[in-house]
Amino acid sequence: MSADSSTSSPKTEGQAPNEDDQQHGTYECNICLETANDPVVSMCGHLFCWPCLHQWLETRPNRQTCPVCKAGISKDKVIPIYGRGNPNPQDPREKLPPRPAGQRSEPESSNPFHNFGLGGDGNFQFSFGIGAFPFGIFASTLNFNDGRPGQPPPNSPQQAEEQFLSKVFLWVAIIFIFWLLIA
Amino acid sequence: MMTDSTEAKSNPSNVTKRLQKELRTLMISGSPGISAFPEGDNMFKWVGTIEGAKGTVYEGLSYKLSLTFPSQYPIEAVKVRFETPCYHPNVDTHGNICLDILKEKWSALYDVRTVLLSIQSLLGEPNIDSPLNTNAADLWKDQVLYKKVLLEKYNKDVKKTNHCTEESNKLS
Repeated sequence: MSADSSTSSPKTEGQAPNEDDQQHGTYECNICLETANDPVVSMCGHLFCWPCLHQWLETRPNRQTCPVCKAGISKDKVIPIYGRGNPNPQDPREKLPPRPAGQRSEPESSNPFHNFGLGGDGNFQFSFGIGAFPFGIFASTLNFNDGRPGQPPPNSPQQAEEQFLSKVFLWVAIIFIFWLLIA
Repeated sequence: MMTDSTEAKSNPSNVTKRLQKELRTLMISGSPGISAFPEGDNMFKWVGTIEGAKGTVYEGLSYKLSLTFPSQYPIEAVKVRFETPCYHPNVDTHGNICLDILKEKWSALYDVRTVLLSIQSLLGEPNIDSPLNTNAADLWKDQVLYKKVLLEKYNKDVKKTNHCTEESNKLS
């Protein structure tokens, strides 16, 4: 702690070994030490490349502090800087880095049946998947009748799958009983 | 375009660039009592030297350290270890250092120079409250005795590392 405070100061104050570095150093990113690319400045006045700062913030989601002065910092509290050279400035926070996309996991069992190529409807694929076509036709029609209405599109594959599974078990039970009767 | 720049930042060549810059700064600035240089061609592994600060019990002693840079440097902290055995309340027998700025208080702004300076000042100002070496922490109050034990250990260890085989023969 004492070591901390006593040593962070020489860096920020006396970081000018020669004139060349002094001139360029003014616009250097505090993280990569290169001239800031897609520059943003924090409320506390410290300059960073947005990709550098983003990486820094990402690794510390709970303690987002300025690497230089440890002031609070966040994506919304930095200002992008637009120089003259750039013909169509774009907020670096918008383009860089891409936000993590929403995750939508495919129902696992549907994957093997994609090859059937019977359109996008999961119910059809499942029905053909069992290979018991007389029942399959029923299954698909049943799914259309009570499965679809009123369900939000993102959830429908999973719910359809659940309904489908319950029907599969029902049919398995019926087939089993049927087989018992025959045997 | 997006991925280009994001990847560029975690790209090893950018880390190398920063390390080269640090090396240049370190050599130009010439901070007294500390030095560091890459070990061979590998820019990600350096050997550092720290001399005990004047006015502390460590005055006149010099310690070798190894610095290992992760591929995410400087987002992640450099790993520093004493190679010369160091008798100190915050250094364990394997050379691991307990220093907040190398762990949870790390900042991307710190570099080799500030890290070595921090360790140098840690030598003279140990954090007695969270010791790795409790024996050294207990002894710290008595600076005269501490210095005596420190020098004994230092002389023994440094000789041991310098003339490893000779010493071990003598000792046994």
